[in-house]
Amino acid sequence: MKTAWKYALAALALALALAPVYWLVTISIKKELDQFAYPPLWWNFAPTLEHYRDAFGARSFGRFLANSALVAAGSTLAALLLGVPAAYGLARFRWERLSFWILSTRMLPPIVTIVPLFLMLREARLLNSLLGLGLLYTAFNLPFVIWMMRGFFDEVPVELEEAARLDGDSRLGALVRVVLPIVRPGLAATAVFCAIVAWNEFLFALILTQTEAAATLPVGIASRVTQYEIKWGAMSAAGVVAMAPVLAFAAAAQKYLVRGLSLGAVKG
Amino acid sequence: MDLTFHGITKRFGSVTAVEDFTLTAAPGEFVVLLGPSGCGKSTLLRIAAGLETPDAGAVRMGGRDITRAEPKDRDLAMVFQSYALYPHMTVAENIAYPLRIRGRPASEIDAEVRALAERLGLDGLLDRLPRALSGGQRQRVALARAIIRRPKAFLMDEPLSNLDARLRLEMRAELKHLQRELSTVTLYVTHDQAEAMTLAHRIAVIDRGRLLQYDTPWNIYHRPANLFVAGFLGSPPMNFFDHGEVILGVRPEDIEVSREAQPDWQPARVWVVEEMGNESFVVLHAGDTRVTVRVPAGARFDLDQPVWFRAAPGKTHRFDPKTTEALG
Repeated sequence: MKTAWKYALAALALALALAPVYWLVTISIKKELDQFAYPPLWWNFAPTLEHYRDAFGARSFGRFLANSALVAAGSTLAALLLGVPAAYGLARFRWERLSFWILSTRMLPPIVTIVPLFLMLREARLLNSLLGLGLLYTAFNLPFVIWMMRGFFDEVPVELEEAARLDGDSRLGALVRVVLPIVRPGLAATAVFCAIVAWNEFLFALILTQTEAAATLPVGIASRVTQYEIKWGAMSAAGVVAMAPVLAFAAAAQKYLVRGLSLGAVKG
Repeated sequence: MDLTFHGITKRFGSVTAVEDFTLTAAPGEFVVLLGPSGCGKSTLLRIAAGLETPDAGAVRMGGRDITRAEPKDRDLAMVFQSYALYPHMTVAENIAYPLRIRGRPASEIDAEVRALAERLGLDGLLDRLPRALSGGQRQRVALARAIIRRPKAFLMDEPLSNLDARLRLEMRAELKHLQRELSTVTLYVTHDQAEAMTLAHRIAVIDRGRLLQYDTPWNIYHRPANLFVAGFLGSPPMNFFDHGEVILGVRPEDIEVSREAQPDWQPARVWVVEEMGNESFVVLHAGDTRVTVRVPAGARFDLDQPVWFRAAPGKTHRFDPKTTEALG
Protein backbone atom coordinates (compact mmCIF):
# COMPACT_ATOMS: atom_id res chain seq x y z
CA MET A 1 0.00 0.00 0.00
CA LYS A 2 2.76 2.35 0.98
CA THR A 3 4.63 1.53 -2.22
CA ALA A 4 1.50 2.20 -4.26
CA TRP A 5 1.28 5.68 -2.79
CA LYS A 6 4.93 6.26 -3.48
CA TYR A 7 4.52 5.28 -7.12
CA ALA A 8 1.39 7.40 -7.48
CA LEU A 9 3.20 10.44 -6.10
CA ALA A 10 6.21 9.79 -8.31
CA ALA A 11 3.92 9.49 -11.33
CA LEU A 12 2.24 12.77 -10.46
CA ALA A 13 5.56 14.57 -10.05
CA LEU A 14 6.76 13.10 -13.32
CA ALA A 15 3.60 14.16 -15.14
CA LEU A 16 3.94 17.71 -13.82
CA ALA A 17 7.58 17.90 -14.82
CA LEU A 18 7.14 16.32 -18.23
CA ALA A 19 3.89 18.02 -19.32
CA PRO A 20 5.63 21.08 -20.81
CA VAL A 21 8.15 18.83 -22.52
CA TYR A 22 5.33 16.75 -23.99
CA TRP A 23 3.65 19.92 -25.22
CA LEU A 24 6.92 21.16 -26.72
CA VAL A 25 7.55 17.90 -28.54
CA THR A 26 3.98 17.59 -29.89
CA ILE A 27 3.89 21.23 -31.04
CA SER A 28 7.10 20.63 -32.94
CA ILE A 29 5.46 17.87 -35.01
CA LYS A 30 1.96 19.34 -35.41
CA LYS A 31 0.78 21.17 -38.46
CA GLU A 32 0.20 24.85 -37.79
CA LEU A 33 -3.57 24.40 -37.87
CA ASP A 34 -3.47 21.63 -35.27
CA GLN A 35 -1.29 23.68 -32.94
CA PHE A 36 -4.17 26.00 -32.12
CA ALA A 37 -7.02 23.47 -32.21
CA TYR A 38 -9.47 23.73 -29.35
CA PRO A 39 -9.98 21.49 -27.46
CA PRO A 40 -6.23 20.68 -27.82
CA LEU A 41 -5.23 17.63 -29.84
CA TRP A 42 -3.24 15.56 -27.34
CA TRP A 43 -2.33 12.72 -29.62
CA ASN A 44 -4.70 12.31 -32.57
CA PHE A 45 -3.04 14.56 -35.11
CA ALA A 46 -1.09 13.86 -38.27
CA PRO A 47 2.62 14.37 -37.46
CA THR A 48 4.85 16.41 -39.71
CA LEU A 49 8.53 17.21 -39.85
CA GLU A 50 8.10 20.51 -41.67
CA HIS A 51 9.04 22.57 -38.61
CA TYR A 52 12.31 20.69 -38.26
CA ARG A 53 13.06 21.40 -41.90
CA ASP A 54 12.17 25.02 -41.23
CA ALA A 55 14.35 25.24 -38.14
CA PHE A 56 17.37 23.48 -39.59
CA GLY A 57 16.92 25.18 -42.90
CA ALA A 58 17.18 28.60 -41.35
CA ARG A 59 20.45 30.24 -42.23
CA SER A 60 22.05 30.37 -38.83
CA PHE A 61 20.72 27.39 -36.93
CA GLY A 62 23.94 25.39 -37.22
CA ARG A 63 25.84 28.47 -36.22
CA PHE A 64 23.75 28.93 -33.08
CA LEU A 65 24.19 25.29 -32.15
CA ALA A 66 27.95 25.47 -32.57
CA ASN A 67 28.14 28.74 -30.64
CA SER A 68 26.20 27.28 -27.74
CA ALA A 69 28.30 24.15 -27.66
CA LEU A 70 31.51 26.16 -27.76
CA VAL A 71 30.48 28.59 -25.03
CA ALA A 72 29.05 25.88 -22.78
CA ALA A 73 32.07 23.59 -23.13
CA GLY A 74 34.62 26.39 -22.91
CA SER A 75 33.11 28.13 -19.90
CA THR A 76 32.58 24.85 -18.06
CA LEU A 77 36.17 23.83 -18.63
CA ALA A 78 37.47 27.24 -17.58
CA ALA A 79 35.29 27.33 -14.44
CA LEU A 80 36.52 23.88 -13.44
CA LEU A 81 40.17 24.73 -14.13
CA LEU A 82 39.94 27.81 -11.93
CA GLY A 83 37.41 26.59 -9.40
CA VAL A 84 38.73 23.13 -8.54
CA PRO A 85 42.14 24.31 -7.25
CA ALA A 86 40.42 27.14 -5.37
CA ALA A 87 37.96 24.73 -3.79
CA TYR A 88 40.81 22.40 -2.81
CA GLY A 89 42.65 25.29 -1.18
CA LEU A 90 39.56 26.37 0.72
CA ALA A 91 38.87 22.84 1.89
CA ARG A 92 42.40 22.13 3.10
CA PHE A 93 43.36 25.50 4.55
CA ARG A 94 40.90 27.31 6.78
CA TRP A 95 39.70 30.49 5.15
CA GLU A 96 36.06 30.66 6.25
CA ARG A 97 35.57 34.33 5.47
CA LEU A 98 36.93 33.98 1.99
CA SER A 99 34.52 31.15 1.21
CA PHE A 100 31.61 33.28 2.34
CA TRP A 101 32.83 36.18 0.27
CA ILE A 102 33.00 33.95 -2.79
CA LEU A 103 29.43 32.82 -2.28
CA SER A 104 28.28 36.38 -1.74
CA THR A 105 28.78 37.06 -5.45
CA ARG A 106 25.76 34.83 -6.02
CA MET A 107 23.56 36.76 -3.66
CA LEU A 108 22.49 39.60 -5.92
CA PRO A 109 20.12 39.11 -8.83
CA PRO A 110 22.34 38.80 -11.91
CA ILE A 111 20.25 41.28 -13.88
CA VAL A 112 21.51 44.21 -11.79
CA THR A 113 24.99 43.62 -13.17
CA ILE A 114 23.97 43.77 -16.79
CA VAL A 115 24.57 47.47 -17.40
CA PRO A 116 28.09 47.58 -15.94
CA LEU A 117 28.88 44.29 -17.67
CA PHE A 118 27.65 45.66 -20.97
CA LEU A 119 29.88 48.71 -20.59
CA MET A 120 32.88 46.67 -19.52
CA LEU A 121 32.56 44.23 -22.39
CA ARG A 122 32.10 47.11 -24.81
CA GLU A 123 35.32 48.74 -23.60
CA ALA A 124 37.12 45.42 -23.88
CA ARG A 125 35.69 44.98 -27.39
CA LEU A 126 34.10 41.71 -26.29
CA LEU A 127 30.50 42.52 -27.14
CA ASN A 128 29.06 40.18 -29.75
CA SER A 129 31.85 37.71 -29.08
CA LEU A 130 31.82 34.15 -27.84
CA LEU A 131 34.89 34.91 -25.77
CA GLY A 132 33.04 37.65 -23.89
CA LEU A 133 30.04 35.46 -23.27
CA GLY A 134 32.24 32.54 -22.25
CA LEU A 135 34.15 34.71 -19.78
CA LEU A 136 30.86 35.81 -18.28
CA TYR A 137 29.54 32.28 -17.88
CA THR A 138 32.85 31.23 -16.36
CA ALA A 139 32.47 34.01 -13.82
CA PHE A 140 28.88 32.97 -13.08
CA ASN A 141 29.79 29.34 -12.59
CA LEU A 142 33.00 29.87 -10.68
CA PRO A 143 31.45 30.41 -7.21
CA PHE A 144 29.18 27.45 -7.84
CA VAL A 145 32.12 25.22 -8.77
CA ILE A 146 34.09 26.37 -5.74
CA TRP A 147 31.26 25.69 -3.33
CA MET A 148 30.27 22.36 -4.80
CA MET A 149 33.82 21.07 -5.04
CA ARG A 150 34.77 22.36 -1.61
CA GLY A 151 32.03 20.16 -0.20
CA PHE A 152 33.39 17.15 -2.07
CA PHE A 153 36.99 17.84 -1.04
CA ASP A 154 35.87 18.18 2.58
CA GLU A 155 34.61 14.62 2.40
CA VAL A 156 38.02 13.21 1.47
CA PRO A 157 39.95 12.32 4.64
CA VAL A 158 43.14 14.36 4.97
CA GLU A 159 44.92 11.17 6.00
CA LEU A 160 44.71 9.85 2.44
CA GLU A 161 46.75 12.78 1.21
CA GLU A 162 49.14 12.50 4.11
CA ALA A 163 49.60 8.83 3.31
CA ALA A 164 50.31 9.68 -0.33
CA ARG A 165 52.85 12.32 0.65
CA LEU A 166 54.63 9.89 2.95
CA ASP A 167 54.51 7.26 0.22
CA GLY A 168 56.66 9.65 -1.77
CA ASP A 169 54.23 11.89 -3.60
CA SER A 170 54.22 15.68 -3.67
CA ARG A 171 51.18 17.66 -2.53
CA LEU A 172 50.22 18.21 -6.17
CA GLY A 173 50.81 14.55 -7.01
CA ALA A 174 48.61 13.50 -4.10
CA LEU A 175 45.90 15.82 -5.37
CA VAL A 176 46.08 14.45 -8.91
CA ARG A 177 46.57 10.76 -8.14
CA VAL A 178 44.56 10.33 -4.96
CA VAL A 179 42.12 13.15 -4.27
CA LEU A 180 40.81 13.97 -7.74
CA PRO A 181 39.98 10.35 -8.66
CA ILE A 182 38.01 10.08 -5.42
CA VAL A 183 35.96 13.21 -6.10
CA ARG A 184 35.38 12.29 -9.76
CA PRO A 185 31.61 11.83 -9.24
CA GLY A 186 31.44 15.31 -7.74
CA LEU A 187 33.50 16.67 -10.59
CA ALA A 188 31.11 15.15 -13.12
CA ALA A 189 28.03 16.47 -11.32
CA THR A 190 29.51 19.95 -11.10
CA ALA A 191 30.48 19.93 -14.78
CA VAL A 192 26.98 18.90 -15.84
CA PHE A 193 25.38 21.70 -13.84
CA CYS A 194 27.79 24.29 -15.23
CA ALA A 195 27.25 23.14 -18.79
CA ILE A 196 23.47 23.24 -18.39
CA VAL A 197 23.54 26.75 -16.95
CA ALA A 198 25.70 28.01 -19.83
CA TRP A 199 23.73 26.10 -22.46
CA ASN A 200 20.37 27.46 -21.31
CA GLU A 201 21.36 31.01 -20.39
CA PHE A 202 19.20 33.49 -22.26
CA LEU A 203 19.13 36.96 -20.72
CA PHE A 204 22.81 37.89 -20.90
CA ALA A 205 23.24 36.21 -24.25
CA LEU A 206 20.33 38.22 -25.63
CA ILE A 207 21.67 41.56 -24.43
CA LEU A 208 25.37 41.02 -25.04
CA THR A 209 25.20 39.42 -28.49
CA GLN A 210 23.38 41.30 -31.16
CA THR A 211 24.85 39.64 -34.21
CA GLU A 212 23.98 36.21 -35.52
CA ALA A 213 27.66 35.32 -35.56
CA ALA A 214 27.84 35.32 -31.77
CA ALA A 215 24.28 34.39 -30.78
CA THR A 216 23.64 31.17 -28.87
CA LEU A 217 20.79 28.74 -29.36
CA PRO A 218 18.33 30.25 -26.84
CA VAL A 219 18.76 33.65 -28.49
CA GLY A 220 18.47 32.07 -31.92
CA ILE A 221 15.25 30.33 -30.96
CA ALA A 222 13.78 33.52 -29.58
CA SER A 223 14.59 35.29 -32.83
CA ARG A 224 11.80 33.32 -34.47
CA VAL A 225 9.45 35.66 -32.63
CA THR A 226 9.27 38.31 -35.30
CA GLN A 227 7.38 41.49 -35.87
CA TYR A 228 4.87 39.69 -38.07
CA GLU A 229 4.51 36.19 -36.69
CA ILE A 230 5.58 33.80 -33.99
CA LYS A 231 6.92 30.59 -35.48
CA TRP A 232 5.76 28.23 -32.76
CA GLY A 233 6.51 25.11 -34.73
CA ALA A 234 10.05 26.07 -35.66
CA MET A 235 10.75 27.32 -32.16
CA SER A 236 9.50 24.09 -30.65
CA ALA A 237 11.54 22.04 -33.07
CA ALA A 238 14.63 24.04 -32.18
CA GLY A 239 13.75 23.67 -28.50
CA VAL A 240 13.62 19.90 -28.82
CA VAL A 241 16.98 19.90 -30.54
CA ALA A 242 18.42 22.19 -27.85
CA MET A 243 17.20 19.83 -25.17
CA ALA A 244 18.78 16.75 -26.71
CA PRO A 245 22.46 17.32 -25.87
CA VAL A 246 21.66 18.22 -22.27
CA LEU A 247 19.59 15.05 -21.93
CA ALA A 248 22.34 12.95 -23.47
CA PHE A 249 24.96 14.55 -21.23
CA ALA A 250 22.88 14.07 -18.10
CA ALA A 251 22.08 10.47 -19.03
CA ALA A 252 25.76 9.71 -19.59
CA ALA A 253 26.68 11.29 -16.26
CA GLN A 254 23.67 9.96 -14.40
CA LYS A 255 25.57 7.39 -12.40
CA TYR A 256 27.98 10.12 -11.31
CA LEU A 257 25.19 12.64 -10.70
CA VAL A 258 23.37 10.41 -8.25
CA ARG A 259 26.59 9.40 -6.53
CA GLY A 260 27.86 12.95 -6.59
CA LEU A 261 24.78 14.38 -4.96
CA SER A 262 24.72 11.73 -2.28
CA LEU A 263 28.47 11.48 -1.74
CA GLY A 264 29.22 11.47 1.94
CA ALA A 265 25.68 10.46 2.84
CA VAL A 266 26.85 6.87 2.98
CA LYS A 267 30.13 5.92 4.59
CA GLY A 268 32.01 3.68 2.21
CA MET B 1 69.50 4.41 10.70
CA ASP B 2 68.73 6.15 14.00
CA LEU B 3 65.97 8.70 14.57
CA THR B 4 66.34 11.58 17.02
CA PHE B 5 64.07 14.24 18.44
CA HIS B 6 66.16 17.06 19.81
CA GLY B 7 64.47 19.66 22.06
CA ILE B 8 61.18 19.55 20.15
CA THR B 9 58.51 22.06 21.16
CA LYS B 10 55.20 22.38 19.35
CA ARG B 11 52.33 24.73 20.18
CA PHE B 12 48.86 24.89 18.68
CA GLY B 13 47.60 28.38 19.49
CA SER B 14 47.90 28.69 23.27
CA VAL B 15 48.14 24.93 23.80
CA THR B 16 51.60 23.42 24.15
CA ALA B 17 51.32 19.94 22.65
CA VAL B 18 54.98 18.96 23.04
CA GLU B 19 57.58 20.62 25.22
CA ASP B 20 61.36 20.31 24.98
CA PHE B 21 61.20 16.68 23.92
CA THR B 22 64.42 14.79 23.34
CA LEU B 23 64.68 11.11 22.46
CA THR B 24 66.84 8.87 20.30
CA ALA B 25 65.67 5.64 18.70
CA ALA B 26 68.66 3.47 17.89
CA PRO B 27 69.03 1.71 14.50
CA GLY B 28 66.56 -1.17 14.26
CA GLU B 29 64.92 -0.25 17.53
CA PHE B 30 61.18 -0.53 18.19
CA VAL B 31 60.24 2.51 20.27
CA VAL B 32 56.71 2.90 21.61
CA LEU B 33 55.43 6.36 22.48
CA LEU B 34 52.95 5.65 25.26
CA GLY B 35 50.62 8.07 26.96
CA PRO B 36 47.00 9.05 27.53
CA SER B 37 45.08 10.64 24.66
CA GLY B 38 46.07 14.24 24.08
CA CYS B 39 49.54 13.78 25.59
CA GLY B 40 51.28 14.85 22.37
CA LYS B 41 52.47 11.45 21.17
CA SER B 42 50.65 11.67 17.84
CA THR B 43 51.98 15.19 17.33
CA LEU B 44 55.51 13.82 17.75
CA LEU B 45 54.85 11.16 15.16
CA ARG B 46 53.49 13.76 12.74
CA ILE B 47 56.57 15.90 13.34
CA ALA B 48 58.76 12.91 12.53
CA ALA B 49 56.69 12.36 9.39
CA GLY B 50 56.98 15.98 8.28
CA LEU B 51 53.24 16.58 8.48
CA GLU B 52 53.83 19.15 11.25
CA THR B 53 56.74 21.52 11.72
CA PRO B 54 58.01 22.00 15.30
CA ASP B 55 58.24 25.51 16.77
CA ALA B 56 61.63 24.66 18.22
CA GLY B 57 64.06 21.77 18.06
CA ALA B 58 65.22 19.42 15.35
CA VAL B 59 64.48 15.96 13.97
CA ARG B 60 67.50 14.02 12.76
CA MET B 61 67.74 10.78 10.90
CA GLY B 62 71.09 9.09 10.53
CA GLY B 63 72.68 12.39 11.53
CA ARG B 64 70.89 14.35 8.81
CA ASP B 65 68.62 17.22 9.91
CA ILE B 66 65.19 16.55 8.39
CA THR B 67 63.18 19.03 10.51
CA ARG B 68 61.97 20.94 7.50
CA ALA B 69 62.19 18.28 4.81
CA GLU B 70 59.07 17.42 2.81
CA PRO B 71 57.40 14.15 3.85
CA LYS B 72 58.21 12.61 0.46
CA ASP B 73 61.92 13.33 0.89
CA ARG B 74 62.22 11.63 4.29
CA ASP B 75 61.85 8.04 3.12
CA LEU B 76 59.67 7.11 6.08
CA ALA B 77 56.56 4.96 5.89
CA MET B 78 53.55 5.59 8.05
CA VAL B 79 50.69 3.30 9.03
CA PHE B 80 47.59 5.21 10.06
CA GLN B 81 44.94 4.27 12.59
CA SER B 82 42.35 4.42 9.82
CA TYR B 83 44.80 2.60 7.45
CA ALA B 84 44.27 5.42 4.89
CA LEU B 85 44.02 2.98 1.98
CA TYR B 86 43.29 4.65 -1.34
CA PRO B 87 39.63 3.74 -1.86
CA HIS B 88 39.71 3.95 -5.66
CA MET B 89 42.69 1.62 -6.06
CA THR B 90 42.77 -2.15 -5.80
CA VAL B 91 44.86 -3.88 -3.16
CA ALA B 92 47.64 -4.40 -5.70
CA GLU B 93 47.55 -0.74 -6.75
CA ASN B 94 47.58 0.38 -3.13
CA ILE B 95 50.64 -1.68 -2.33
CA ALA B 96 52.35 -0.66 -5.58
CA TYR B 97 51.74 3.06 -5.12
CA PRO B 98 55.03 3.94 -3.34
CA LEU B 99 57.00 2.14 -6.05
CA ARG B 100 54.95 3.61 -8.88
CA ILE B 101 55.63 7.15 -7.58
CA ARG B 102 59.33 6.35 -7.74
CA GLY B 103 58.99 5.36 -11.38
CA ARG B 104 60.03 1.74 -11.01
CA PRO B 105 59.34 -0.46 -14.06
CA ALA B 106 55.93 -2.12 -14.02
CA SER B 107 57.22 -5.69 -14.28
CA GLU B 108 59.50 -5.20 -11.28
CA ILE B 109 56.67 -3.62 -9.25
CA ASP B 110 54.35 -6.48 -10.13
CA ALA B 111 56.82 -9.10 -8.97
CA GLU B 112 57.49 -7.32 -5.68
CA VAL B 113 53.79 -6.77 -4.96
CA ARG B 114 53.09 -10.46 -5.56
CA ALA B 115 55.94 -11.62 -3.36
CA LEU B 116 54.97 -9.32 -0.50
CA ALA B 117 51.27 -10.12 -0.79
CA GLU B 118 52.05 -13.78 -0.47
CA ARG B 119 54.19 -13.18 2.58
CA LEU B 120 51.40 -11.21 4.28
CA GLY B 121 48.63 -13.60 3.27
CA LEU B 122 47.07 -11.18 0.81
CA ASP B 123 47.39 -13.27 -2.35
CA GLY B 124 43.96 -13.78 -3.84
CA LEU B 125 42.86 -10.34 -2.67
CA LEU B 126 45.03 -8.30 -5.03
CA ASP B 127 42.18 -7.29 -7.35
CA ARG B 128 39.78 -6.26 -4.59
CA LEU B 129 38.99 -2.70 -3.58
CA PRO B 130 39.67 -1.78 0.05
CA ARG B 131 35.96 -1.55 0.87
CA ALA B 132 35.61 -5.27 0.09
CA LEU B 133 38.19 -6.20 2.75
CA SER B 134 37.83 -7.03 6.44
CA GLY B 135 39.53 -4.89 9.07
CA GLY B 136 42.41 -7.33 9.47
CA GLN B 137 42.96 -7.51 5.72
CA ARG B 138 42.97 -3.71 5.43
CA GLN B 139 45.55 -3.63 8.18
CA ARG B 140 47.76 -6.02 6.24
CA VAL B 141 47.44 -3.97 3.06
CA ALA B 142 48.46 -0.86 4.98
CA LEU B 143 51.48 -2.74 6.34
CA ALA B 144 52.38 -4.05 2.90
CA ARG B 145 52.22 -0.55 1.45
CA ALA B 146 54.54 0.65 4.21
CA ILE B 147 57.01 -2.21 3.84
CA ILE B 148 57.29 -2.56 0.09
CA ARG B 149 59.85 0.16 -0.54
CA ARG B 150 61.96 -0.71 2.53
CA PRO B 151 61.90 2.75 4.11
CA LYS B 152 64.47 4.01 6.58
CA ALA B 153 61.91 4.08 9.40
CA PHE B 154 58.33 3.08 10.21
CA LEU B 155 55.88 5.39 11.91
CA MET B 156 52.76 3.76 13.29
CA ASP B 157 49.82 5.64 14.77
CA GLU B 158 47.69 3.25 16.85
CA PRO B 159 47.60 0.78 13.95
CA LEU B 160 45.83 -1.96 15.91
CA SER B 161 43.14 0.06 17.67
CA ASN B 162 40.48 -0.48 15.00
CA LEU B 163 40.70 -4.27 15.20
CA ASP B 164 38.63 -6.49 17.45
CA ALA B 165 40.34 -7.88 20.54
CA ARG B 166 41.33 -11.28 19.16
CA LEU B 167 42.65 -10.00 15.85
CA ARG B 168 44.55 -7.30 17.70
CA LEU B 169 46.55 -9.89 19.64
CA GLU B 170 47.26 -11.82 16.47
CA MET B 171 48.40 -8.77 14.53
CA ARG B 172 50.43 -7.57 17.51
CA ALA B 173 52.53 -10.71 17.40
CA GLU B 174 52.86 -10.53 13.61
CA LEU B 175 53.89 -6.91 13.77
CA LYS B 176 56.58 -7.66 16.31
CA HIS B 177 57.92 -10.58 14.29
CA LEU B 178 57.92 -8.48 11.11
CA GLN B 179 59.74 -5.58 12.75
CA ARG B 180 62.43 -7.84 14.23
CA GLU B 181 62.85 -9.46 10.83
CA LEU B 182 63.12 -6.17 8.92
CA SER B 183 65.14 -4.55 11.69
CA THR B 184 63.97 -1.09 10.70
CA VAL B 185 63.73 1.63 13.34
CA THR B 186 60.07 2.04 14.31
CA LEU B 187 58.15 4.69 16.22
CA TYR B 188 54.85 3.33 17.42
CA VAL B 189 52.19 5.45 19.09
CA THR B 190 49.64 3.89 21.42
CA HIS B 191 47.72 4.45 24.64
CA ASP B 192 47.52 0.69 25.20
CA GLN B 193 50.07 -0.41 27.81
CA ALA B 194 49.84 -4.06 26.77
CA GLU B 195 50.91 -3.12 23.21
CA ALA B 196 53.72 -1.00 24.61
CA MET B 197 54.99 -3.72 26.94
CA THR B 198 54.87 -6.50 24.37
CA LEU B 199 56.15 -4.68 21.29
CA ALA B 200 58.79 -2.24 22.45
CA HIS B 201 62.50 -2.47 22.86
CA ARG B 202 62.09 0.78 24.74
CA ILE B 203 58.99 2.65 25.89
CA ALA B 204 58.77 6.45 26.07
CA VAL B 205 56.05 7.41 28.56
CA ILE B 206 54.65 10.82 27.72
CA ASP B 207 52.25 13.03 29.60
CA ARG B 208 51.21 16.57 28.73
CA GLY B 209 53.85 16.87 26.04
CA ARG B 210 56.76 15.85 28.26
CA LEU B 211 58.90 12.74 28.27
CA LEU B 212 58.54 11.20 31.73
CA GLN B 213 60.61 8.06 31.31
CA TYR B 214 62.37 6.33 28.44
CA ASP B 215 63.49 2.82 29.20
CA THR B 216 62.98 -0.89 28.54
CA PRO B 217 59.54 -2.36 29.33
CA TRP B 218 61.08 -4.22 32.27
CA ASN B 219 62.52 -1.09 33.84
CA ILE B 220 59.42 0.98 33.11
CA TYR B 221 57.35 -1.58 34.98
CA HIS B 222 59.75 -2.48 37.78
CA ARG B 223 61.54 0.84 38.23
CA PRO B 224 59.06 3.59 37.40
CA ALA B 225 60.78 6.97 37.55
CA ASN B 226 57.80 8.86 38.91
CA LEU B 227 54.22 8.63 40.13
CA PHE B 228 52.67 9.02 36.68
CA VAL B 229 54.62 6.17 35.10
CA ALA B 230 54.00 3.99 38.16
CA GLY B 231 50.26 4.59 37.96
CA PHE B 232 49.92 4.47 34.18
CA LEU B 233 51.46 1.03 33.63
CA GLY B 234 50.06 -2.04 35.27
CA SER B 235 46.57 -3.43 35.22
CA PRO B 236 45.06 -3.16 37.73
CA PRO B 237 47.18 -0.14 38.62
CA MET B 238 49.66 0.22 41.47
CA ASN B 239 48.30 0.91 44.97
CA PHE B 240 49.45 4.19 46.49
CA PHE B 241 49.68 4.93 50.21
CA ASP B 242 50.17 8.56 51.24
CA HIS B 243 52.43 8.84 54.27
CA GLY B 244 52.85 12.61 54.27
CA GLU B 245 56.54 13.07 53.47
CA VAL B 246 56.58 10.02 51.18
CA ILE B 247 54.11 8.19 48.91
CA LEU B 248 54.49 4.43 48.88
CA GLY B 249 53.52 2.43 45.80
CA VAL B 250 52.91 -1.33 45.75
CA ARG B 251 51.75 -3.36 42.76
CA PRO B 252 48.74 -5.66 43.30
CA GLU B 253 50.94 -8.75 42.85
CA ASP B 254 53.34 -7.50 45.54
CA ILE B 255 50.76 -7.40 48.32
CA GLU B 256 50.46 -10.38 50.63
CA VAL B 257 47.12 -11.12 52.18
CA SER B 258 46.19 -13.42 55.08
CA ARG B 259 42.92 -14.61 56.60
CA GLU B 260 44.47 -14.59 60.08
CA ALA B 261 45.89 -11.69 62.05
CA GLN B 262 49.70 -11.31 61.71
CA PRO B 263 51.95 -8.99 63.69
CA ASP B 264 52.57 -5.65 61.84
CA TRP B 265 50.08 -6.54 59.07
CA GLN B 266 47.26 -4.11 58.43
CA PRO B 267 43.63 -5.14 58.98
CA ALA B 268 41.09 -4.69 56.17
CA ARG B 269 37.81 -6.07 54.84
CA VAL B 270 37.10 -7.65 51.47
CA TRP B 271 35.07 -5.25 49.37
CA VAL B 272 34.83 -7.13 46.06
CA VAL B 273 36.40 -10.13 44.34
CA GLU B 274 36.98 -10.08 40.57
CA GLU B 275 37.71 -13.47 39.07
CA MET B 276 39.62 -13.48 35.80
CA GLY B 277 39.86 -17.24 35.38
CA ASN B 278 43.63 -17.59 35.59
CA GLU B 279 43.87 -15.23 38.56
CA SER B 280 41.66 -13.04 40.74
CA PHE B 281 41.74 -9.47 42.00
CA VAL B 282 40.58 -8.82 45.53
CA VAL B 283 39.76 -5.24 46.41
CA LEU B 284 40.13 -4.47 50.14
CA HIS B 285 38.93 -1.54 52.19
CA ALA B 286 41.34 -0.53 54.93
CA GLY B 287 39.74 2.48 56.56
CA ASP B 288 39.49 5.04 53.75
CA THR B 289 42.02 3.44 51.44
CA ARG B 290 41.19 0.93 48.75
CA VAL B 291 43.80 -1.72 48.02
CA THR B 292 43.83 -4.09 45.06
CA VAL B 293 45.54 -7.46 45.53
CA ARG B 294 46.30 -10.06 42.88
CA VAL B 295 45.73 -13.60 44.16
CA PRO B 296 46.02 -17.00 42.45
CA ALA B 297 42.94 -18.45 40.77
CA GLY B 298 40.84 -20.47 43.20
CA ALA B 299 41.79 -18.49 46.33
CA ARG B 300 38.55 -18.12 48.27
CA PHE B 301 37.56 -14.77 49.73
CA ASP B 302 34.08 -13.76 50.86
CA LEU B 303 32.49 -10.34 50.88
CA ASP B 304 33.15 -8.36 54.05
CA GLN B 305 35.52 -11.03 55.34
CA PRO B 306 38.21 -9.56 57.67
CA VAL B 307 41.75 -9.99 56.29
CA TRP B 308 45.29 -8.71 57.00
CA PHE B 309 47.76 -7.48 54.38
CA ARG B 310 51.26 -6.09 53.90
CA ALA B 311 53.62 -5.13 51.08
CA ALA B 312 55.98 -7.94 50.19
CA PRO B 313 59.43 -7.08 51.57
CA GLY B 314 61.57 -5.09 49.11
CA LYS B 315 58.66 -4.57 46.71
CA THR B 316 57.72 -1.04 47.74
CA HIS B 317 58.28 1.98 45.47
CA ARG B 318 58.87 5.33 47.17
CA PHE B 319 57.91 8.68 45.63
CA ASP B 320 58.43 12.28 46.69
CA PRO B 321 54.91 13.79 47.01
CA LYS B 322 56.16 17.27 45.95
CA THR B 323 58.21 16.43 42.84
CA THR B 324 56.37 13.08 42.21
CA GLU B 325 59.81 11.64 41.37
CA ALA B 326 60.88 8.20 42.61
CA LEU B 327 63.14 8.21 45.69
CA GLY B 328 66.27 6.02 45.58
